[in-house]
Amino acid sequence: MSIQEQYRKKAAELLSSGEVKLVIGYGSGSTPDRRRALFARTADDAALFHVDAACDANLSGYLVNEGLLSDKKKIGIFLKPEGIRSVNILAAESQLDPDQIVILGFTEENGTVSGLQGTQASDFTSLMTALKENRTTSEKEQALVDKIEAMTPQERFAFWQAEFEKCIKCYACRQVCPMCYCKRCIVDNNQPQWVHTSSHTLGNFEWNLVRAFHLSGRCVECGGCDRACPVNIPLRLINRRMANEVLDAFDHFSGMNQNQEPVLASFKKDDPETFIL
Amino acid sequence: MAKIGVFICHCGENIGAKIDCTRLTSAMNDHPGVSVSVEYKYFCSDPGQENVKKAIREHNLTGVVVAACSPRMHEATFRKACAEAGLNPYLCEIANIREQCSWVHTDQDMATEKAIEITRSLIEKVKLNNELQPIEVPVTKRALVIGGGIAGIQAALDIANAGQEVVLVEREPSLGGHMAQLSETFPTLDCSQCIMTPRMVEAAQHPKIRLLTYSEIEQVEGFIGNFKVRIRQKSRYVDMKACTGCGDCIQKCPQKKISDEFDCALGKRPAIYTPFAQAVPNIPVIDKEHCTFFKNGKCKVCQKVCETNAINFEMQDEFLDLEIGAIVVATGFQIQNTAMYGEYGYGKYADVITGLQFERLASASGPTAGKILRPSDGKEPQTIVFIQCAGSRDPSKGVKYCSKICCMYTAKHAMLYAHKVHGGKAHVFYMDIRAAGKGYDEFTRRAIEEDEAAYMRGRVSKVWLENGKLMVRGVDTLLGKPVEIAADMVVLATAITPQPDAREFAKVVGIGCDEYGFYNEAHLKLRPVETATAGIFLAGACQSPKDIPDSVSQASACASKVIGLFSRDQLEREPVIAINNESTCSGCWGCALACPYNAIEKKDILSRSGELIKQVAFINPGLCQGCGTCVTFCRSNSIDLAGFTEKQIFAEVMGL
Repeated sequence: MSIQEQYRKKAAELLSSGEVKLVIGYGSGSTPDRRRALFARTADDAALFHVDAACDANLSGYLVNEGLLSDKKKIGIFLKPEGIRSVNILAAESQLDPDQIVILGFTEENGTVSGLQGTQASDFTSLMTALKENRTTSEKEQALVDKIEAMTPQERFAFWQAEFEKCIKCYACRQVCPMCYCKRCIVDNNQPQWVHTSSHTLGNFEWNLVRAFHLSGRCVECGGCDRACPVNIPLRLINRRMANEVLDAFDHFSGMNQNQEPVLASFKKDDPETFIL
Repeated sequence: MAKIGVFICHCGENIGAKIDCTRLTSAMNDHPGVSVSVEYKYFCSDPGQENVKKAIREHNLTGVVVAACSPRMHEATFRKACAEAGLNPYLCEIANIREQCSWVHTDQDMATEKAIEITRSLIEKVKLNNELQPIEVPVTKRALVIGGGIAGIQAALDIANAGQEVVLVEREPSLGGHMAQLSETFPTLDCSQCIMTPRMVEAAQHPKIRLLTYSEIEQVEGFIGNFKVRIRQKSRYVDMKACTGCGDCIQKCPQKKISDEFDCALGKRPAIYTPFAQAVPNIPVIDKEHCTFFKNGKCKVCQKVCETNAINFEMQDEFLDLEIGAIVVATGFQIQNTAMYGEYGYGKYADVITGLQFERLASASGPTAGKILRPSDGKEPQTIVFIQCAGSRDPSKGVKYCSKICCMYTAKHAMLYAHKVHGGKAHVFYMDIRAAGKGYDEFTRRAIEEDEAAYMRGRVSKVWLENGKLMVRGVDTLLGKPVEIAADMVVLATAITPQPDAREFAKVVGIGCDEYGFYNEAHLKLRPVETATAGIFLAGACQSPKDIPDSVSQASACASKVIGLFSRDQLEREPVIAINNESTCSGCWGCALACPYNAIEKKDILSRSGELIKQVAFINPGLCQGCGTCVTFCRSNSIDLAGFTEKQIFAEVMGL
């Protein structure tokens, strides 16, 4: 039985037994190689789930929809390792109760999909440790990272200025991000208007820098923002850089467990203070 | 419509010489919303403040900007003046055009431009200022004094004598600190113990003082008037209530070879001991590390001889949680380990000792009962060399600062030596003689002129042993000649250093340290006993090297601060506190974690039928100190700081 069949069966069982009220997974998309979120409420719906290499979205963001979890009933959800990390962060930030989440975990490597053992976020501790130890980057992405790292600050500024010039402030990056759960985003606050709404250089820098800081120590590098960006700004690189910073400086790998303290709000006595005089 | 008054201070020449104040004044007069803009030589003076008050009344001002020095200097002054003229004090802002402008720039034109921008930005801010009312918080009228040396004892006694409760905590088994170790004290040569022990007894017996010896501070939380302190009472293994202090256990303890800390390793003590005969309380402790029972599981001789069954090997550390209103930190000092000066031979030759060891030799309660005898063979030294600044004022190997007391105690040592060993010769190598203080210079002159100590201005390069003599090679720079002295004993005036755990302890209490680890005062000249943390004060050598008179004066100053604080039932606190917007808060609790004062708690938002809708952060106004950490952390921008609201800061920035 293929992975897809196994997981369809598992989802159907969860729904028919009443263990979960809903399973969030992937259904057919607008083209054969695309998937979109599918919300199954009956065992029959479960037959429509896809589990394949095209399932790239991190679905965890749907969990924090207002009121979804307030009835204390469980929800099943298809998640890749980065999605499990998101659930850990959402739990750590009191946005959900991890006991309500039944995880149908899978991972994808070179086009092949395989299942993950475990159903609770806490079942994946060893996987998280392995992910922290072996952070991977695609060759293409690494090449770009190396190129940017090698630039002088002026060149780097010019690079990002050119990239941000394309930004139309559609905030698709925010909408897709599971970490952007605030009821009111700072950019929607216009008293005062810290972040300019118009898409000029200053406003674009303001938005993207605020986003980078709000996601440092929280981004799980699912790549959602990157894929959502209609003008192809390599947003993932910014988050990658911040993730490297917090890992190097504070040994913080976002989403390791449900009790992780936010890196920017906590401190250890031996934290490096190279930037403090 | 805003009616802002702008008051531009020349600060004599401090601002006036570098900034064109007339141009600044007229520029501000043209700024929208400004009703009046005037300049004056010293606005902080009485007529200056009168000017401000008059303008407030005449022009019915809705806000005031004083362009002057740093708000740290005179914000309180001008806010008070505003309040006296009937304007809410929080409608007054200071534009700092001195420290951040005139003092740091040379070009008058550009400095004036900058001053215009700074002042303008504060005008924009003050337009959005709200009237704020001070927050009243109750005061717990109980002081905590940390450290039972002379400074701590003095502070405790002064506070207690004013009728306030004091908790005096000492980490050693007895009160006394370093002063109890000293022999005679300069400049009067009265016996240290004779003046110290009565104070120790007074502190221990005072009805208002709760004495906790052999105890340490574990945790300090809260804020001025409302600290919560956790104290660890280390187990003595001796029941303080049952013990009569008879000393039988001390006599019978089979362990007798432990190096005595109080005697600076010149004597020995048993494993159950009191640090010295006049210890307060006169109740021994068991040194767990050296006790035969704790090491081998067998012995308990002390328990067998104790007639009151006071010895309890099962005793555990106990924790005490206390509510405290004010804290006096009087944790004292240590002396530097001089063994790093290989050339002086400390640690290598038994007869090269520190000044503090010499105190023990000269003290009647010391290991030699006050006779000055060589540690190596117990003979009376006929020639002594004193080396001053053995660590102090030595940026390369020792410490950069002057330890302040060494010139005086070296003169005293030379004097005591002359009085005790007739015919003996004392030589003193010094860099400078620093004898500023009442009767101090007369005292050093007496050591030189009457007691014939041979003072030589110069350094010692080497000390070595030759034919049973300590050969001291130095230089007399006034004669320009090298000197070699065959001595029987060498005394090093070792540097005073902070306690080795001073930095960690500062973090526990919540105060700052300087580069060496001495505790920082709020202002070196004007607020020398306060720390930057309100309600915490400093006394004695934990702040900087000090002699006894200085420590005592500072301790009394601390006491007067504490008594002043306790003279009121309610404290007025700045209303600069954070406020959370509950409708936009997403309840991530990052703020609660970031808050250094534990001021943020969870609040349930319930529907009309009582169902939980969500949990949000609630900032306790009594605990919030207005530091703004939560404001910067909040991703949804839900938290704002009264007096520094986002709108105000934004207007201030845009005004630049």
